[in-house]
Parts: sequence; structure tokens; C-alpha cells
Amino acid sequence: MTTDANPLLSDRDVDFLLFEVHDAASLCALPAFADHDRGTFELTVQTVRRLARDVFFPALRDTDAAPPALRDGAVALHPKMRAMFEALAEAGVLSATRPASVGGQSLPALVATAANAYLCAGNASGAGLAMLTTEAAHLIESFGSDELRARYMHDLYAGRSTGTMCLTEPHAGSSLGDITTKATPRADGTYNLTGSKIFISGGEHDLTENIIHLVLARIAGAPEGSRGVSLFCVPKLRPDGDALVDNDVRCAGVLHKIGWRALPSVALNLGEGDDCRGWLVGTAGRGLAHMFQMMNAARIGVGASAAAVAYAAYQESLRYALTRPQGRALSGRDAQGPQVAIVEHADVRRMLLRQKAIAEGALSLVLAAARQSDLAEHGADEAQRARARRLLDLLTPVAKSFPAEKGFEANALAVQVHGGYGYTSEYLPELWMRDQKLNSIHEGTSGIQGLDLLGRKVVAGGGEALAAWSEEVTLTVTRARAAGVSAAWCDALDGVVAEVGALTIELAARGLAGDVDGMLSHSADYLDLFSTACVAWQWMLQATAAQRAKGAGRDEAFYEGKLRAAQYWFATEVPRVALLARLCREAEDSYLRMAPEAF
Amino acid sequence: MKILVSLKRTADPDNANKVKVAPGGAKIVTDGLEPKVNPFDEYAVETALRLVENGKTRIAGDTVVVASFGPKEAATNIRQSLAMGADSGLLFTTDDDSLDGDLVARALAKVVEAQKPDLVILGKQAVDGDSNQVAQVLAETLGWPSATFAMSVNLSADKKTVTVGREVDGGVVKLTLTLPAVISVDLRIVGAKAVTNNVTPAAFAYNDGPRFAPLPMIIKAKTKPIAEAPLASLGVDTGLKVRYTGFELPAARKAGIKVKDVADLVERLRTDAKAL
Repeated sequence: MTTDANPLLSDRDVDFLLFEVHDAASLCALPAFADHDRGTFELTVQTVRRLARDVFFPALRDTDAAPPALRDGAVALHPKMRAMFEALAEAGVLSATRPASVGGQSLPALVATAANAYLCAGNASGAGLAMLTTEAAHLIESFGSDELRARYMHDLYAGRSTGTMCLTEPHAGSSLGDITTKATPRADGTYNLTGSKIFISGGEHDLTENIIHLVLARIAGAPEGSRGVSLFCVPKLRPDGDALVDNDVRCAGVLHKIGWRALPSVALNLGEGDDCRGWLVGTAGRGLAHMFQMMNAARIGVGASAAAVAYAAYQESLRYALTRPQGRALSGRDAQGPQVAIVEHADVRRMLLRQKAIAEGALSLVLAAARQSDLAEHGADEAQRARARRLLDLLTPVAKSFPAEKGFEANALAVQVHGGYGYTSEYLPELWMRDQKLNSIHEGTSGIQGLDLLGRKVVAGGGEALAAWSEEVTLTVTRARAAGVSAAWCDALDGVVAEVGALTIELAARGLAGDVDGMLSHSADYLDLFSTACVAWQWMLQATAAQRAKGAGRDEAFYEGKLRAAQYWFATEVPRVALLARLCREAEDSYLRMAPEAF
Repeated sequence: MKILVSLKRTADPDNANKVKVAPGGAKIVTDGLEPKVNPFDEYAVETALRLVENGKTRIAGDTVVVASFGPKEAATNIRQSLAMGADSGLLFTTDDDSLDGDLVARALAKVVEAQKPDLVILGKQAVDGDSNQVAQVLAETLGWPSATFAMSVNLSADKKTVTVGREVDGGVVKLTLTLPAVISVDLRIVGAKAVTNNVTPAAFAYNDGPRFAPLPMIIKAKTKPIAEAPLASLGVDTGLKVRYTGFELPAARKAGIKVKDVADLVERLRTDAKAL
């Protein structure tokens, strides 16, 4: 409990999650991370959190209040966005997770995700621009030709250019197989691009000279659907001899967003003058598959940002509740006595504990996914890597959507704790609430995540990912029992694992029998159920670490807080699994039967 | 040019309000607070680095050595300074509780004898004990000139003297010291142009505050040497002169009162507060 400035995330908690729950130090045994030790991880987090507190967070209100506008085809960013981006580039944050061969520090995604969460909490727009740039460079690193790597990758990692992902078109957002942007081959091996893209974050700005767009488009004559989609590198300025010349990428408008306001989201017209050049990245027709590297990273990134934004608002409302005097205790009401801080009221404590359970549970979940991404890429052997890939695939839609969905609820509670003041822009919670809403929409809506989870991920490979997940959770419960964690919670989580398995088999059987509606009409409830289970797993991990550490006379209040948050999750959220399972199982049909004219 | 900086670890000063007094007032409890580099010592590291740089590049041959006293874990805090740009570290191991300002100053004098720096830079005080004694006792022990509470430092072109702006109650006093010397630094020393060395161009401005350790330097710092030895190996008397007899929290602040008008205010300042 402190009453000073908002720390964004609790340092003690980040330390706990990294080293006591997700065992970051053990990653150093892998050759890819051999240059690191706990000390380098701690110093890295320290540097990034200082950037977040000294540069990002102080700019939050200003950058939100004055979003950039389109003037004469150009978009001028808030000057503080430049300060943020340059500070990140100078500190080497953009290439941190990449290997030394491309100038990076081989930092595990687990540690980078925790560190970057501070940035997201301090200023989601600033952190978003950095994430896009890193991932654009990573796409070129993975799939680009030597020419493209030489020309763009290093500039992106060094922050001399920024990157974008250009997927959505005015008529095709979630349904990317329907995009129509066209790529016409030219004699020199490049392509002429024509088409319109929309919701392109960082698509136009004055921060760097060049912007490197990674664009999904259809090569003339390619098959319909997603198999005809290819990936192109389309710079704002293209090389012409030694000079850079305009590449006919026009910003047609800036969207007026309710959050993430400092990061311009723009409409782009490619090839209005039929002079927009693109370079094929990777294999023709594999564009969507290649882009999934960026999309999957972005999904974990969105989950991290969502957890962080909920976390910062929780910290803000906690500080408010500790210092705001209002009312008196229900028992022994003494009208003459001094008022108590609102944290003394049961309902305020409920709102704070709910926020804590969501924010810290979400952050732990995102870190669990990040750890699997480290093992998937750098695991000791193919068996470990393959298992981690399966778990990562399974966890990605959950790590993306849970922090966003429940995080929004937490953000609303932070406003609520502030009462009438919370509904004003004099206080920060409304800003974080607006920023949070985007996270259930961009990089695949929660609806898409639900379909991805139930329609694809849990049934993939005959359910092998789900089997690996069940093993992980069951192992967690075994360890929790050994550590002396509440048997009731352990029994409950064992029950949830069994329920998830049984329900999934039932739903998959319906799908196999051709009853797609029967399988998928409650994909949102299934996602909710599986997310609740995953976060119960995370709280079991945290409760185990807390139970082990408790009683040593150190940080007793911290560990007690962890156990109460776990208790809250098992008491209030885990019981919802039964209802959600029933809705899925019975394929409750109120909305299916609801014809459009009945609304 | 060789600069020695001394470093103390203190319970996370950003969470100083979590510090508690043990029942009975026997000691200060810093449970759950991460040990971090004393902020004024971080400013000392930043000052030293600015003196051995030409803007963004290092002056060849110049070195910054960081020394600390404490448990083995204090190596983490030294490593942070190495990641900022210091070249090597010295850790003299002992318990945090087995140190006082006098012992640290006498031990540092021994380190100075061995290391032969041209300049010793320290934070003006540690934010836990607030004793503000080490720089003064060290200078006295060495018989070196010293300037405390530095808010500006200018190293002469011939590197034979430093001119130090000292913050004092009435303003700033400038002292020119002949090297070798001891300097203790205050908060304003990390202003954009507070430290000059007649090498870095006058137009160059540092960012305010101590620098971040850039990520590439964090890895590089792992290869920089930290020599560890028991404090006793310095051959100093490790007895303490300062003994703490008890701790208590300051009395809670009393509520203020509203005065009627200026005349009432003046009257109360005179009679109640006895301030006039």
C-alpha cells in the first residue's frame, strides 16, 4: 500500500511474476538466452520502466488531448510521441528480443513483455507505434529478401523508420480473404500496387522520413480467398538510384478515435497515380501465413497492453481509495467522528479486489503465453518446441481477448471507485477506459478470437494442444496441493480441467457430424469459459508461489494479497464455468432464433 | 583521468513510505523494498561519466571505477552503474548494518590509496540515513581539497583543476579545487549542462537526470569486471562509531486552522507560532 505517484505496474508484482511464478531465470539455460542472467533481466526491466515513468506516462494526458490531424496530406504527430519513440530507439528497446545477428539483445519475450507492459500502461499509443515497428522489421527479417533486409530491417530496428501492418480494407476487416488490393507484376520483378487500406495505425506521420508498410494484396490472376493473398513491402518513399522518391502512398484521412488518440489510424490509398511500387515478401500466396507471425505477436502485444492498461487504472483507483475520506463505518456509525478512507467500505474493497484479480491474472496469463513463445522458438529440443508451439497457439486467442474484455470491466470499476470525479477528464481512469476498448476490437475482435479458439485451436491435431494444456494445469494443481494451497481451489480447478475436456469433445463431435451452429454458436461463451479456466490456472500458480513464500517473515502482506485475489477468483468466477458449459452444451438458441425483423 | 565513485544501496526510495519502524523502535524495517542505488550516488555516476565523455563518445584512456560496500547482492547495483557506462566495480563485502559513515570514509580512503584516482565523486548523502558525512570525512582523511553539494562541475582543459558550483542557503558558491579532490553532488548536477569538461562541445545538452542503461550496455556490463573482497581485507578498523539507540516516527501532523484576516494571521504568527 502506498499513496505516492502511480507506479503503473507494481514492481514487486512484476518481480514476483517473472521470477517466482514464470521462472524467467530458467530460460538462461537455453543457448539463445545464454548471455543473460537474472541481473540483466532486472536491469532491462528497470531501464524500460524508467522510460515508462519518466517519458511515457507524463505525456499521457497531453498526447491524448491533442490527436494529430491530416493537413495537406501530412500528419504531424504530437511532439511527445517523438520523444517517446526516440527514447525507446536509443535504449535499444525496439530490437531487444532479436538476436545479436540483427543487432538485438536476445531478450526472452517473457521479460520483454513484462518490461513493455510498463510502456503500455504509461502510454499505449507510444508503445503501439514501437511494437508495430519491431514486428514489421521482424517480418522482413523472417521472410524478406537480402535486399529488403539490407534496405529496411536495420532502419526499423534502430527506429530510423517506422513500420505498419496494412491488412484491413473498407469492405474487408475480419474477413481478410476478401481483400481486393491488387499487385500487378512489373518487368523488373517488383509489383504495381493499387487499392485502399483503412485503420492503418502509424500509416502516416512526420516522425521518421520513411514509413515501411507491410501490405496484404492479391497478385493479378491469383485464386480467390486467402490462398490468393501475398505480402508486400511498400515503403512511403522508394529508392531511385541514390535518392528516395515518393511511392504514391496517399493518406486519405485520419480516423477520429475515442482512444489511442496519439497514434494516428489512417486510410491509405495505394497507387492513385498508378505509381506505387511493392516488393514481394516471402512466397506468393503465403501472405496471410507470413502475416500471422506479426498478427500473433501483435495479439500477445494487445493482451499485454490490455492487462497493463487495466493494471494502471487499478493502481490509480487504489491510491484514490486509500486517501479519499468519505462516510463512516457501517457498524458503530458515529456522525461526529472523522470520515474513513473509502477503502474501508466493503463495496470499494470488492471493486479493488476485482480489478486486482483481473489485472494481475491477465498479466500473468500474457506472460505465460510469452514464455511459451520463447520455448516455441528457442526450446531445448524439437519435442519441447513443438509442445510450446501448440500451447502458444492455444493460449494466443485467450491472452489476446481476456485482458481486453475483463480489462474493460476493470477499467470501468476504476472509474466507479473515483465516483463523480471518475466521470471527468480531470482524472485519468476515463482515458484508460477509452484506450482499453480498442483492445477487444483490433488484431482480431473477441468474436474472431472465440471462433479461432473453438473452431480451430482446441480441435487442432486431434486436440493435442488441449491435451498439453490439461497436463500443464493438472501439474500446477499437483504442485499447489503439495505447497498447501486450499484443497477446495485445487479440487475446483481439477473439475474445470475435466469439464473443459468433456465439453470440447462434445462440441467437436457436433462439428464433425456437420452441426456447425451446434458447435460454434456459443463460441463467445466457450471463450469466456476457457479464459476463466486459464486465469484460474494463473491464480493457482500465483497462490502456490505465495503459499510457499508466506511465513518466512518477508512481504507477508504482498503474499496475503495474492492469496485473497486467488480466493476471489475461485469463489466468484470459477463457478461461472458450470453455467457457461451448460449454455454451450445445450446450444441455447435465443439469439439463433432471433430473426432480424424480431429485433 | 580516473574517477572513483562510491555507491550505496538503499531501500527503494520510490516507496519510502513503506518503511516501518519495528515495534519498540529497535530498527527500521524495509521489508519487501528492493535495494536500489542511492539516487544521489546515481547522480555521482552520471557526473563522472559526463566528465570522461566527448558528447556521446568516450574519451580514450579515461576510466570510471565504482566502489560499494555491502552484501554480495550489492553487485547488482554496481552492475547497473557499469551498464550506464562505468568501466569496473569494486565490492567490499559486509552486512548493510555493519557500516557507518565514518567506516565507509576510512575504507574509501584505503581504496583511494590503491586506485589512485584523480577525483572521487560521491552523492551528497544517502537517502536512508541522511548522514551526509562520507565525503567530508574522506577528504579530511586523505588531506584532499573537497567541495560538497555540487550543482555544477567544470573540469579545466588541462585536467588539473575543477571548478565546482556549490548550493548554499544564499545561492551558489564557486570553488576551484586542485586535483586530486573529493566532490559530493546534489540534485541539480544532472541538469542538461551542469557538468562540463572542455571537451564536450558547449552546444551539447545531456538529457536531464541520470541516464538510462541502454539494453545493449546491460549485456556488455556482464563482461566488465567487479572485483570482490571482504571489507576487512582493506585493513581498516571495522568498528562502528555510530550507534543507533532507537527509532520513532515523526508526530502526525496536526490539522490547520483558518484565520480571519491578515491581522489575525500576523497575530497568530507572533503569539502561537512565535515565528515573528
